[in-house]
Amino acid sequence: MTVSPEENEEFVDPLQNYEPVEYESRLEEALAEEKVSAISILPCETVSPTTSVRDAIDKLNSLSISSLIIVDESRVVGIFTERDVLERVAQQFSQVADSPVSEVMTADPFVVYGNDPVGAAVAATTLAGYRHVPVIDESGNLLGMISPPRVFEFMNSRMKP
Amino acid sequence: MEFSSSLATDPVRSLPLREPPRISGSYSASAAIAAMRDKELGCAVIVDDQGIPEGIFTERSVIQILSEGRSLDVCTVRQCADSHFVVVREEDPVSVVWNAICNEHTRFVCVTDAEGKLVGLTGQRGMSEYVSECFPWQVAVQRLGATPWDQQREGA
Repeated sequence: MTVSPEENEEFVDPLQNYEPVEYESRLEEALAEEKVSAISILPCETVSPTTSVRDAIDKLNSLSISSLIIVDESRVVGIFTERDVLERVAQQFSQVADSPVSEVMTADPFVVYGNDPVGAAVAATTLAGYRHVPVIDESGNLLGMISPPRVFEFMNSRMKP
Repeated sequence: MEFSSSLATDPVRSLPLREPPRISGSYSASAAIAAMRDKELGCAVIVDDQGIPEGIFTERSVIQILSEGRSLDVCTVRQCADSHFVVVREEDPVSVVWNAICNEHTRFVCVTDAEGKLVGLTGQRGMSEYVSECFPWQVAVQRLGATPWDQQREGA
């Protein structure tokens, strides 16, 4: 015989003492409760791992952007940023210009999930120290990218009355 | 205190400031890159003899030079300086930096003293650290890594 919780006198609701978190401001609540996907995570430019370093740099320049996400069959395999250009390309450009970008990209980059709290996006840019962070879904598919200006724009929108 | 009030009242000197490479305008792009790599920073600040910032040479400048097929050894930083050059005083409110980042996507902001001499560098990184300090309970508690929530064993 099945006894429902209501019929069992010994049943104690484990959430009976649960007290919802009280936030001091709308912004504080947004950082803790809203999801990364609520940030403007697009546009987000991608290239394939076989794209040449020269073409990747031309794309960064022509679009005036700071990073490209390297995608192989819809999965994020790397990121190529201004920092990679400085550290791995600039001083040997003639040797690597025609090489695939996969040879100079940052492989397996730090990522956040679309359903992570926005606070995780801030943590990624501060505690982890990454300026461009791909946003993926639970299947590993690319959803977009966050950066400090995008996080700050989100915060601005939650500070308005 | 509300975050917007903190932005309006905290001075820029309360942001984390970093010491950038200080170079003259006659430096070659190659020399500037070496200085940037040495300091692990994405820019070098072009200053005059008095230490007053005149311009900024950034990773974006490097990309532009490479994309245009110019030589890093021939280009001077004055010729190739980033057009996005923002200078604030250390006593200005943090909101000045916040607005520059939000409205113009400024990455680096040069900070000067009352005499206009460079005292440090801040920008997106510094502002992110400021935000995390303002919201420790929302930021510092976050996991760091690529394991999604449903695959973690917290409390196990």
